[in-house]
Amino acid sequence: MARFLGYRLIQSAFLLLGVSIVSFGLMHLAPGGPLSLYTLNPTVTAQDIERVKALFGLDRPVHVQYLKWAAGMATGNWGYSFFGGRPVVDIVLDRLPATLLLMGTALALALVIGVAVGILSAGRRNSVFDYASAVAAMVALSLPTFWFGLLSIFTFAQTLRWLPAGGMVSTGGGGFVDRLEHLILPVVVLALVLVAQWSRYTRSTMLEILDQDFIRTARAKGIRRSRVLLNHGLRAALVPLVTLAGLQVPLLVGGALVTETVFGWPGMGMLFLSALNTRDHPVLMAILMVGAVMVVLGNLLADVLVALIDPRVKLGHG
Amino acid sequence: MADATLMAVTIAPPRAGLLKRLVRHRLSILALVVLAVLVVGSAGAPWLAPHDPEELDLASRYAPPFAAGHILGTDDLGRDVLTRLMFAGQISLAVGIAAMLVTVVVGFSVGAFAAYYGRWVGTVLMRLTDIMLCFPSVFLLLFVAAFVTPSLASMALMIGLTCWMEIARIVYSQILVLKSADFIAAAQMVGAPSWRIILRQILPNTMAPVLVAATLNTANAILLESYLSFLGYGIQPPEASWGNMLTNAQSDFQVDPWLAVFPGIAITLAVTSFNFLGDGLRDALDPRTAGR
Amino acid sequence: MRNSDRIPTGPGASAAGREQPPEGALSAPAVGRRDILRAGGAIGLSLPFAGGIGALYGAWTAPAQAAVTGQCVLGVTQEAVNFNPLLYVNTGVETSVEFIVFDALWKIDPEGNFVANLAAEIPTGANGGISADGLTWTIKLRPDAKWHDGTPFTAADVVFTLDVILDPKVVVRSRSGHDHVASYEAVDDHTVRITLKDSFAPYMVSWQKTSIIPRHILQGTDINTAPFNTAPVGTGPFRLKERVAGSHIAFEPNADYHGGAPKLASLVQKYVPDQQTLYAQFQTGEVDIFDLQGIPPLLYQKAQELPNCSILLSASPFVEFIYFNCGKPQFADKRVRKALYMAVDKKGWIDAVYYGVPIPTLSYLPPNHWAYNQNLVDPGFDPEKAAALLDEAGWTVGGDGVRQKDGVRLAFTMSTTAGNKSREQAQQLVQQNFKRIGVEMTIKNMPASVVWGDYTVKSEFDTLMVGWDALLYPDPDYGDRIISTAIPAKGGSGSNYVQYQNAEIDELSARGVTTVDQAARKAIYDRIQEILLDEVPFAPIFAYQTIVGVLDRIQNYRPNPYTSINSWNTVEWTAA
Repeated sequence: MARFLGYRLIQSAFLLLGVSIVSFGLMHLAPGGPLSLYTLNPTVTAQDIERVKALFGLDRPVHVQYLKWAAGMATGNWGYSFFGGRPVVDIVLDRLPATLLLMGTALALALVIGVAVGILSAGRRNSVFDYASAVAAMVALSLPTFWFGLLSIFTFAQTLRWLPAGGMVSTGGGGFVDRLEHLILPVVVLALVLVAQWSRYTRSTMLEILDQDFIRTARAKGIRRSRVLLNHGLRAALVPLVTLAGLQVPLLVGGALVTETVFGWPGMGMLFLSALNTRDHPVLMAILMVGAVMVVLGNLLADVLVALIDPRVKLGHG
Repeated sequence: MADATLMAVTIAPPRAGLLKRLVRHRLSILALVVLAVLVVGSAGAPWLAPHDPEELDLASRYAPPFAAGHILGTDDLGRDVLTRLMFAGQISLAVGIAAMLVTVVVGFSVGAFAAYYGRWVGTVLMRLTDIMLCFPSVFLLLFVAAFVTPSLASMALMIGLTCWMEIARIVYSQILVLKSADFIAAAQMVGAPSWRIILRQILPNTMAPVLVAATLNTANAILLESYLSFLGYGIQPPEASWGNMLTNAQSDFQVDPWLAVFPGIAITLAVTSFNFLGDGLRDALDPRTAGR
Repeated sequence: MRNSDRIPTGPGASAAGREQPPEGALSAPAVGRRDILRAGGAIGLSLPFAGGIGALYGAWTAPAQAAVTGQCVLGVTQEAVNFNPLLYVNTGVETSVEFIVFDALWKIDPEGNFVANLAAEIPTGANGGISADGLTWTIKLRPDAKWHDGTPFTAADVVFTLDVILDPKVVVRSRSGHDHVASYEAVDDHTVRITLKDSFAPYMVSWQKTSIIPRHILQGTDINTAPFNTAPVGTGPFRLKERVAGSHIAFEPNADYHGGAPKLASLVQKYVPDQQTLYAQFQTGEVDIFDLQGIPPLLYQKAQELPNCSILLSASPFVEFIYFNCGKPQFADKRVRKALYMAVDKKGWIDAVYYGVPIPTLSYLPPNHWAYNQNLVDPGFDPEKAAALLDEAGWTVGGDGVRQKDGVRLAFTMSTTAGNKSREQAQQLVQQNFKRIGVEMTIKNMPASVVWGDYTVKSEFDTLMVGWDALLYPDPDYGDRIISTAIPAKGGSGSNYVQYQNAEIDELSARGVTTVDQAARKAIYDRIQEILLDEVPFAPIFAYQTIVGVLDRIQNYRPNPYTSINSWNTVEWTAA
């Protein structure tokens, strides 16, 4: 196990190195840049822009800038925002909890509902419920997230006035119930796609397992169908499901970005967009790296969990 | 990597009966019909559309559906919404399909070369694939979009270049299986050049799973195009895509919610159809899951 | 630049607001619409530096609905992130913080008069503050001003501020005017003497725009990353009490303020990323003042019907232009530029896109400015005459319906920030206007960080749609944008992005900045405006007006056309 972990960690480190090189390169080779904001300030002249460019080190070759950034990163110095002068770590930490809350809640919700729907579908294969959930899942996977978000705001916030339309807490509020109310719409919107995937995946995994010998044996022994399904089936389905959870991280992170934007949720996604607009390189790099770390960790976690749960999985290369 | 376990690696079944099985998949047929309508409506827009897509009429802005002469109403500059939808469909579908082609070409090339040549070429290419997978695709896409002037070609390229990884992995694993197959070994023995082996032997044999993935990628690309538009990096006016129309409609939501409804429906219909089609194809091509 | 422009945008970033329906077309419930917080909106509104667009709508504990006596909530759609008055780039929301926390030597009132602030008096030739040759400025400072931590304000702080501005290691955004300084010194604790290299009339404005920063806190620190930038200490009427990222900034009154204690018990700058959500909060009284980006023109009519508040049109220094790149073959001939200007339906643009709120202008100055040339004659909206002018200039309609001359088609691109809905609407209108006279315009919008980068600075564009104010507004000097030595694309230093060259303009501009007498200056700038209207290197369309909403419980709020933000007199504000 330790060797496996070590191998995967080293591999992950190289992945992250690659990610950072690709991002940094793209960001610096692209036209435009952070100084555009200065152009727009009427008191700023072309010389001012040249001066600031040199101060930010943007006039140096890309590889020099990258090495400087990477050296900083390696020593725990994430740099400072071009525009606020604040340490990037602080800026990211301001936003990370909001995103984690949104993603965590959505993932948990999706797990519960998705697995339940999947098991039910598998248990009643080819029933009306099975077909209906299949079609619903497919439509859910096809809805533009933001459109669904907008419609839900229109319906539940504007028309029915049941829920707040955005933000994390209301003015003067801040209690648990208030926060919960704000959480509902974004979480549902973000969880929708996940529920769809989970239900389909759980269903097919369960079906595969139900076909296997040990289940047939259990059934033959007269154990009730629902018990077989839950006790034996679910346990066996755990491995692929855990794997899916790990692999869904990119989807989750991407979905969170769109959801945050629709609902004005003050998380990393919104931070990313604003940093992208201003081309605040240090902040952008930090967010991309945090996102990549989440993805890599998701993968790693999935692998490790699978290995722990299912001793048959050979720990080895890839 | 772990997700290899997620992919059912199967060699394509004999082609016979494919159509029959596809037909049996009723939803796929429905999807095909919907797609046909969308494609005809979009492609035929210059002949079928009731108005000129760029004709401004400020006197009749924000007309509701069924207003005089405008079945779906008019937009913020008084243009006919149905006409705009039809022309926008050209862009949305074209971006979807073009992006899909990019994913297939890039994904196939990377996967095939990696698997066929193996060794360090394979390692480098597949590690690159892993790196690309580490970016959540929306982040990556936005990241690239922020630097590029949007146009049909650039959007298709961007979307395609951020979504080829899955196909690369499918092709990679398929070919690894195929490589050990006898007929490839035979071709190598008679000295066929490697590009020829890839094109003649391997390409057809990996078609099935790639076809499925490509269909699903088309759906995904249409969705991504709408996200790009939504986040402010869409096609240039006066041209429009469905995503772009939706984005524009948001600030008018209070005045004319219909403006947001129709393009949203168009996107959902197109994406759902491609998804169902992909699903149907998968079932048709892989007898193992057919009954499920 | 106008706020909206700076804003890297998304759809709807336009300062001039979201679009609207024809009157009476509103059907959906307007109140409480949190709207459809469009990403677009969000992106659009996202501030340059805003650590983000998030909206922790009002996380502070005091319930804002039950308006707290003495508390004033200022609603903004962008987030201020850098409070160092010399460093921030985002004129607008960060200027607001600057005015609240810091002081300059003098400020400018709504009538355009300079009023002494940290200075004891306005230096003039008469009181010996400015030498006869205009080169030596002796500024007397107030002896009674204190920093928020109690340390006395002295001449050393003014000298330190200049040190920082001229320090090559500090990322000050601009040296606007201070680059004319030859030497400076503190004569005593309350007197500063500055010597200029050359006479520079706008220098008064430079100081009006330069807030003084505290030497005792910043000396010896790395100013670029100092904690001071988010925890400022100023001499202003309010001191920073609390900042919650993505939510709000709270200020408390500085009872020792040299201009008298503020009358408010607290002042809050609340950040709500969406303009229409902010409008809803203004309606419910959660926000007392809706300024800066202002109420969307769409809602102007409705807003006027709201009870218990006044809706003001606040003149803004920003003028909307079409910039022609005179370095491109299509625009080398002034007759082409003039014809294009005449082909644009300016009134239709203002009415359709902005619901008639902005004021048409024929100059780079708004029509209410003292130096605006009232004798300018509008060439008018006249497609026939425009077409005739193009014929005369030799641009004849080719087989494809587009005019051409010597193998050059009269076709070009127009760029602005992608996704700015108002601008995109306007572009489509203009596109139709041009089409009518056989001119092909293609819209080529780009993300803010691209279009306003080298694409603008190095004059790579064909045309731009852009809103800008004069460099040291309200001074009428415009030299950096129009003189021939200010073309960055040709190695010049300045911001003459249209690559306009005219010897008379060069001479007039040089004379304009060295002339002190206001009447003489006016004559010079009248002539400059006349030439510019004749040659149209950029086509002025209108001056923006912000639709400001103020609840009646707030008193003494006075819009100031000479500042980009109306929080210039917060010390006088009261809240019932």
